[in-house]
Amino acid sequence: MAGARGLRGATAGVVGLAAAAVVLVPLLVMARTVWVEGAGLDDMLASPGLGRAVRNTFMLALAVTVLSVPLGTLLALGLRRTDLPGRSFWRVAVLLPVLVPDFVLGYSWLRAYGRAGFTDDLLGAHWSAVQGPVGVTVVVVVNAVPLVYLITAVGLAARAEPAMERAARASGAGALSVLRTITLPLLRPATATAAVLVFVLTLGTFAIPQVMGSPAGFTTITTRIYANLARSSDPLAFVEAVSLALLLVVITVLVVAPADALLGPRLRVTRVASTDPASASGNRTAGRWVAATGIGCYSLLAVGLPLLALVSTAITRAVGLPPSPENWTFANFGSVLTPRTGEALGRSLLLAAAAASVLVLLGGLVAALERSRSGRGVATLVTLTLVLPGSTLALGMLIAYGRWIGGTLVIILLAYIAKLWAIAHRPISGALDRLPPDELHASRVSGASPLTAIRTVVVRPLAPALLAAWLVCFLTALHEVTMSSLLYGPGSETLAVVVLNSTELGQVGATSALSVVITVLLLLPALGFWFLIRRLTRDRMTVTAVPEPVRAG
Amino acid sequence: MPADTLQLRGLCVAYGTVAALSEVDLSVAPGEVLALLGPSGSGKSTLLHTVAGFHPPKSGEVWLSGRRVSSPTSSVPPERRDLAMVFQNYALWPHLSALDTVAYPARRRGESRARAREQAMVILKRLNVGHLSGRHPAELSGGEQQRVGLARALARQASLYLFDEPTAHLDTHVRGVFLEELVTRQRDTGAAAVYAAHDAEETLGLADRVALLAAGRVLQVGSPEQVYSEPVDLLAAQLTGPASVLTVPNGSGQVLVRPEWVALSGVRPARIRDVWFRGPHSDYLLDTDQGRLLVRESGPPAHRRDDQVTWNLRRFWPLPPGQTPPSQTSSGQVPSNLAVPE
Repeated sequence: MAGARGLRGATAGVVGLAAAAVVLVPLLVMARTVWVEGAGLDDMLASPGLGRAVRNTFMLALAVTVLSVPLGTLLALGLRRTDLPGRSFWRVAVLLPVLVPDFVLGYSWLRAYGRAGFTDDLLGAHWSAVQGPVGVTVVVVVNAVPLVYLITAVGLAARAEPAMERAARASGAGALSVLRTITLPLLRPATATAAVLVFVLTLGTFAIPQVMGSPAGFTTITTRIYANLARSSDPLAFVEAVSLALLLVVITVLVVAPADALLGPRLRVTRVASTDPASASGNRTAGRWVAATGIGCYSLLAVGLPLLALVSTAITRAVGLPPSPENWTFANFGSVLTPRTGEALGRSLLLAAAAASVLVLLGGLVAALERSRSGRGVATLVTLTLVLPGSTLALGMLIAYGRWIGGTLVIILLAYIAKLWAIAHRPISGALDRLPPDELHASRVSGASPLTAIRTVVVRPLAPALLAAWLVCFLTALHEVTMSSLLYGPGSETLAVVVLNSTELGQVGATSALSVVITVLLLLPALGFWFLIRRLTRDRMTVTAVPEPVRAG
Repeated sequence: MPADTLQLRGLCVAYGTVAALSEVDLSVAPGEVLALLGPSGSGKSTLLHTVAGFHPPKSGEVWLSGRRVSSPTSSVPPERRDLAMVFQNYALWPHLSALDTVAYPARRRGESRARAREQAMVILKRLNVGHLSGRHPAELSGGEQQRVGLARALARQASLYLFDEPTAHLDTHVRGVFLEELVTRQRDTGAAAVYAAHDAEETLGLADRVALLAAGRVLQVGSPEQVYSEPVDLLAAQLTGPASVLTVPNGSGQVLVRPEWVALSGVRPARIRDVWFRGPHSDYLLDTDQGRLLVRESGPPAHRRDDQVTWNLRRFWPLPPGQTPPSQTSSGQVPSNLAVPE
């Protein structure tokens, strides 16, 4: 028994040290840098350009939150609570923006709706505001909607069970009345969580403002950090970047801390999700076709058409030519599929696989540790990394460890681990929570040793969660660009960095071809794994989906 | 003659390709309490949820007070059906207090908040949970939650009440109190009710009529005495209580015998195979020439294992021919139908 406790203490120590090394140390050395080298910073911080960047960032986050939360909630209600035709297809379709790298999404919108873009070629009409703050806002919204959708859908399953809505219908409430008095109030914690998360993540978003805003002179804190680092040799510009990065953290904490204090206790009492997929009422309304059409149009305009435009640009000989078969060519692909791209791709895959594997291990360890008191602090620290802006983490890594490993793959790997730790930890921790302790007890009293019990009754139910965690980390790392673009050096560019740099060079055909390549690279494993995970979970789903669930009391 | 409060005509319901209800015909007269008795998964919940309008039927129709409310092509939404429901898992809304939960139906009728709360308080007090009006579901015990659920249903002032195993999660004592409450309120309102349960004792004492349900089909409908004493087949008999099957000596068929239909005195010899003391009465399992026989007598056990006794039938019920009681009489196992149902 004492040995087990000692082992747990040692593990907690190691994990705690790792968390400190990738999160606390970088933040502290940044603070020290600003403190020590901050002379002359006052003038710089007062410059109108910086003020504008801060204001832009704040307004963007606000607008995106206000727009994406209702939209995502609406989608979740439409797809989880009605019998829309083609429901299961739309459920996958609305998640597509998650799989498309954000810089690709931004770029594809420019190709679809911008000057000399898809609609311009076909209809002679373009939307000039797509380059600039409006376009940035819209695409960040499109990018944020799946997150809101997912959080709301989980909230729907966990708190607003169909039984709640049925009870309201049987009490005389109409469909809209149920929505107003029961469903939405029950969803309030989920909605608030989604709003806070979207706001904070938008504060730190980089690729979309960089690709769609910078050419139009729209700067945010993150693009300014990037510009300071990439284009200026002024040491003060570096210090300004560090200060901005810290400012991001301060704003984030100011938003998250009160929200966590308010929402935390309520979120923690959520019930185990019921798997009853039925709608609240068996009525087949005509409205479902309207809703399906709406979701279809949204998916088409937000993701379908832009991706189509991207592919069309990639296979068209030159910009401005109509995308008709006689102008089709593979030359753009030929020009970008160079050995250099191949190397970058290899590095990206290696980095992503390494990061995902380390992260699942660390995430699993933290999930196991947080069940004891000693590990809870580590878990809190790890959860924090979710909201730390990538730009901040990258700068912190650079200052703390750049001297030794700057410009190498290792520093990028460290940054990935810091940024994605929470993403790996959450699904595993959630799956552990749903594992009834009695299952483990039953295995022990049936004669299994602790390790056998874990191997035989814990790992198998956890397999989908572990796999999902690995997959999400792998895919996110594969298209990560905020940190990679600040940390890469000669010989350590990732594919995402290559694509981002290409967007800035104005080679439209080549950039489109690269974007198509990286998107396909993400979609293929994602879909493959998705089917695998569904398969792993299906046998259990069928057991719980028995028509008349009788839970013995 | 007024229309039946509820009528099901050839109702079939399916989940995907799995049939949950097949060709169900049932009716409930105004003020009548119909109990649905059947094991888990027999389709009781599905039936109630279809009546409430949560599931569309695959074929067949649901009629409420002479009005068709469900058919495969049309459906009146639940809130416009004149019914109320008490749910198995209580289905109380976590964000509303007991008072606001019970006020909810009145609010939906368009009452002002103050008036709806006033009415809700009256109902809560009548159910002896007035002091809990400010609490949220998480702060209530199972029995209290279910009383709030009952109060909410009563606040609906409907002419049909649906009870979906309301006592399934309550312990025995609370269950008794709740049922007493329910029966009293039922009488007060004069409304009809459909009560789904898998506990025979509870159901038989409560209902005007009983419908036995198994695997989505109605086996038998009748008065509680009828379904208990004159079951249509062995399966129906097992749903309502313990029973033994004896072969008639001349080989002309089989008869069903309830434990209390046997007297432990008479002319036929038997050996006692097992004895169970059950509090108010004792059960004996007898080896007889006609098969195993379960006997119930009041008081503590008067015999022991392996005692030789005599017995006689006060009453029996001939099973229709063609019944193949699985292994009841022939094998050496203790027949499953001899166990007292849950």
